Amino acid sequence: MKSVRPIKIAITAMGGQGGGVLAGWIVAMAEDNGYFAQSTSVPGVAQRTGATIYYVELFPKDIAKKAKQIPILALTPVPGDVDIVIASEMMEAGRALLRGFVSTNTTLIASDHRVYAISEKEPLGDGRQDAAHIRKLASQTAAQFISFDMEQAAKSAQSVISSVLFGALASTGKLLFARKDFEDTIRASGKAVQANLRGFALGFDHANAKVPNPSVRQKTNSAPAPLLVPLLQFLQDEFPLATHEMLTHGLKRCVDFQDTRYGTLYLDRMAKIHQLDQTCNGARKYWRLTCDMARYLALAMTFEDTIRVADLKTRASRFERFRQNAGASEGQIVIVSEFMHPRIEEFCDMLPAPFGRFILGKPGLKTALGVFFQKGRRVQTTSLRGFLLLNTLAALKPARRISLRYSLETQRIETWLNTIASVAPVNYMLACEITGLQRLIKGYGDTHARGLQNYEKIMTVYKSFETMPLAHKQLKTLKDAALLDENGLALEKALSKLQKRRKT
Amino acid sequence: MAELSFTKEVQKLKIGAGETFHGEGILAVTKALLQSGVSYVGGYQGAPISHLMDVLSDAQGILDDLGVHFETSANEAAAAAMLAASVNYPLRGAVTWKSTVGTNVASDALASVASSGVMGGALIIVGEDYGEGSSIMQERSHPFAMKSQIWLLDPRPNLTSITQMVEKGFELSEASNTPVMLELRIRACHVSGSFKAKDNVRPTFTLAQAMENPVRDYGRVVLPPSNFVHEVEKIESRWPAAVSFIKKHKLNEFLGGHGGNLGIIVQGGLYNTLMRAMELAGLADSFGHTDIPIYCLNVTYPMIPDEVRGFCADKRAVLMIEEGQPEYIEQAMNTILRQAELDTRVVGKEVLPRAGEYTGQVLLDGLRQFFETYAPEQITTNTSLALTPKDQKQLTQSVPLRPVGFCTGCPERPVFTAMKLVQRELGDFHVSCDIGCHLFSILPPFNIGNTTMGYGLGWSGASAFNTKADKRTISIMGDGGFWHNGLTSGVGNAVFNKNDNILVIIDNGYSAATGGQDLLSSRADNAARVTNQPIEKAVRGLGVTWVRAVNTYDLGKMKATLKEALTTDEKGPKIILAQSECMLNKERREKPLRQAAIKNGKRVVRTRFGVDADTCTGDHACIRLSGCPSLTIVDNPDPLREDPVTHVNNDCVGCGVCGEIAHAAILCPSFYSAQLIENPTRLDRWRAGFRGAVIGFLQDRADKKRAKYSFGIDL
Repeated sequence: MKSVRPIKIAITAMGGQGGGVLAGWIVAMAEDNGYFAQSTSVPGVAQRTGATIYYVELFPKDIAKKAKQIPILALTPVPGDVDIVIASEMMEAGRALLRGFVSTNTTLIASDHRVYAISEKEPLGDGRQDAAHIRKLASQTAAQFISFDMEQAAKSAQSVISSVLFGALASTGKLLFARKDFEDTIRASGKAVQANLRGFALGFDHANAKVPNPSVRQKTNSAPAPLLVPLLQFLQDEFPLATHEMLTHGLKRCVDFQDTRYGTLYLDRMAKIHQLDQTCNGARKYWRLTCDMARYLALAMTFEDTIRVADLKTRASRFERFRQNAGASEGQIVIVSEFMHPRIEEFCDMLPAPFGRFILGKPGLKTALGVFFQKGRRVQTTSLRGFLLLNTLAALKPARRISLRYSLETQRIETWLNTIASVAPVNYMLACEITGLQRLIKGYGDTHARGLQNYEKIMTVYKSFETMPLAHKQLKTLKDAALLDENGLALEKALSKLQKRRKT
Repeated sequence: MAELSFTKEVQKLKIGAGETFHGEGILAVTKALLQSGVSYVGGYQGAPISHLMDVLSDAQGILDDLGVHFETSANEAAAAAMLAASVNYPLRGAVTWKSTVGTNVASDALASVASSGVMGGALIIVGEDYGEGSSIMQERSHPFAMKSQIWLLDPRPNLTSITQMVEKGFELSEASNTPVMLELRIRACHVSGSFKAKDNVRPTFTLAQAMENPVRDYGRVVLPPSNFVHEVEKIESRWPAAVSFIKKHKLNEFLGGHGGNLGIIVQGGLYNTLMRAMELAGLADSFGHTDIPIYCLNVTYPMIPDEVRGFCADKRAVLMIEEGQPEYIEQAMNTILRQAELDTRVVGKEVLPRAGEYTGQVLLDGLRQFFETYAPEQITTNTSLALTPKDQKQLTQSVPLRPVGFCTGCPERPVFTAMKLVQRELGDFHVSCDIGCHLFSILPPFNIGNTTMGYGLGWSGASAFNTKADKRTISIMGDGGFWHNGLTSGVGNAVFNKNDNILVIIDNGYSAATGGQDLLSSRADNAARVTNQPIEKAVRGLGVTWVRAVNTYDLGKMKATLKEALTTDEKGPKIILAQSECMLNKERREKPLRQAAIKNGKRVVRTRFGVDADTCTGDHACIRLSGCPSLTIVDNPDPLREDPVTHVNNDCVGCGVCGEIAHAAILCPSFYSAQLIENPTRLDRWRAGFRGAVIGFLQDRADKKRAKYSFGIDL
């Protein structure tokens, strides 16, 4: 039985993204232009940030009139039988594909941006899922695939994503309504009309590829400061080309952290590593050890002590950035307060090493002084008092080399470098993995302590499997486990599994 | 004030005969109630029928004009008991709630009113929260109708059928002196469409008339010997009356064709889904034309044996489409056919799943299986899947689940952050949860909670743990659950039984999860209701002495209070009132005011939060303690660092919880609050100018110094 079939539209969105508004527009437009329209949704808690589907069916009234019948419209989409899928985010497009809503007859409109799920945000490392294969599958499967960053477009139009999606829908021509009908619908709704029309127009033009992609920012290039010339020269002369980029980043970071002397220390340490790399035939591995170490040594050497934080927080470039993030207009007054909670430990870190050690070594004294560090502080960086406080802390930079933290970090770095020096000749790949353990050490306070603890756990255990084949894979497994949860359960499990394997 | 305002939609309730009503299913039901001359309406909010309650709240004026009394009942039991008004008087009344949870609560009163029988039409509208998007246990309302003998309507999901069934439901109720239940599935409640309206009808007999001229009939009271008489009455007079009314008014429909020896029997609510599946199987067209005979049950209880026999007599097999389990209709069908000695095969759950929603795909699969067995020539072949199994697998792994969570700026979040921090110090506790947004604590990133036993039952859900132990239990209850029944079943119960544990009451000023309806303890003024009755007064009145009210956004105090409650030597029930207004409602109220103030040149301070990417090290501890949707991650701008950094997006409402977390959990110095001053005063400008000059000077000097170390390349 062949007959005219309804147009079926599924909107897959997250609660709060305006999917209901979009469905409402489509229904209103269709009803005003000679169609039966029916939409359904699932209300309730699903709309509190969960993924949900708004479903719309349209049927031309004149056909129904001719048949003297009213069409029967369905309330849920059937896989393989959806004409238009509108996804308000890339993973939601993936979900639509997964549920079979996108078939070879489907027009798929999807915003190419990500709203990360809690499972992607939670991990200690990088838990993000890659949307590239969804893009690929979408363009392979759908009859028509329209995709661009509609969230960004909405932002630039100071509108919401639903209006951009509505514009993209209009541009497909899949609904036989004129652009004016779409715009009239927005006008008739009477809410945020101008903003929605701007968003609509952007969506319409973008989908027609009338808007050029933003051009890549040009890199500025001027001569380096004279003080740095010898360092850069050394870098270029002593290291293979493949390592230059990472080394330059690292050097820049170290100089920025302290001074050129510190940069020299970095390059000296790196030169030793490179020598090691050479003796291990590292060229065959594209100088992996040198490259990895260039990254991680720079990070290790530029630890986040109070001086560093105060320095970064008071820079003019940072002031510009927070104004931009907060969406402040030109000349608008912005008052910024930092949430800081230095503990007695951070205070001692800043003291000359012997003093710091002395206090931390006397529990009674530590507790007594700790009283001053029990509460978090709000420091208003845009006020004179707050700024001068941080500025003074930042000015302690020259004295950093005698601080407790500096001595502790130096000690750790030296041990780490020695380990690498002894492991690399035996097992090159393992040495690279040990280099990467630096990734575990991050954050402040308890977070930092926990990371350090995991780092040390792995640093003591690696010896037990050093000579085993695939030892580097084993180490990577442990590292990944350490980044999985903050209670260290995954790492414990991985360690006990390792122990069992060793026994058998 | 509810989450959604229906002031515009309410005007649609006024339209009269000849006009066309456009709107949502649940609004159409409201209109049909007014067209039926209803005298009173009550109920308790909850998806999917919240909108019905919200519309009626907003329609107070129209209801007053028509002489209709509307009440937001304390709970579903109170709503069901309201139907008592129809027992002695010719008053039509309707009540509504979310089912099956609401029906569970209401069942005591429902059984009573069903036993007494009604003189005026009594309609119970249940929003069947089953299948996709449901937040409750997956059960059917069907057996409630069966056990108490209430007729169950399940109309086709289009506005004309639904509204007709409301009107017929009242007539059926009166014709058989039995309450009638109208079951609407989630998507039917929210289906948009249209129907031809009629005039609203004023009730001919009013509530006041009843109050002024009371009528008493001992025979209607559930007490011996009347209760025994009721049981006989149900079987001997009410049932036959209902069967003959249903037959006479053709409430069930014989649709489709007359050919062949196969047929389909379907619950009315699933008719549209069935027709789509049949269309895809090549058995029907878009208008529902088909050769296959269809018996559409708009009344799913009672069954009409004559109709069943008539439909099945000439058929080899019928496909029975009945959602959910147990399959009461299928069983009844088999009984009827067996007794009539008919050999027709009833094929139901053998080709359709026992559990889960009957979506188009499910019915399509069922249809195929049925026809492949009985008439393979009639259906078209299967379409192939668009994705390869490998792609399917990869997608399954990469597309993340999106569990529901607390909204941006939600005041309930810091309560669970505090609990998580306290558990780090004191170890884990047994946590008994309740129903409400706070139940999201069970999901990541909080993972707090052991059980949830029902609305308002958070504390009684932990009442067994009322014994000597080294740790106390924590129970959660919302203000909604508290007034629903938690006041007695939780707090009263704990006081009476000398409980020594802790209850945290989330006092956010609304029944928030159901759409932000007002409660006794709401802070807002409500012209039609009494509000501003503090929970603290209520629990002290019941005899609780250890009560602490804490602003939820004060994370430090919340943590300290929880610790105190968990460790104090004081015996007896301990209640923490976690107070802050629901952010969703607060923003809805304040945002327009704020925008107007800015427009009018008033000084307004907008606060939002941010994270410094260059001090954030990408550990995401803050996310694990907050879970705020506006707290997200972005690529690390630092070329040396690999892990994404935390970022506060534009949705931030400036509640300040992330800053509080950074303080309380001693996380990191990356969080900052930025206050944007709109329409600054002269003092503001002068101060900012002075600060800017000094700070700018120092920054300039530092920049110049840094320039000495410039690499000259912007990497």
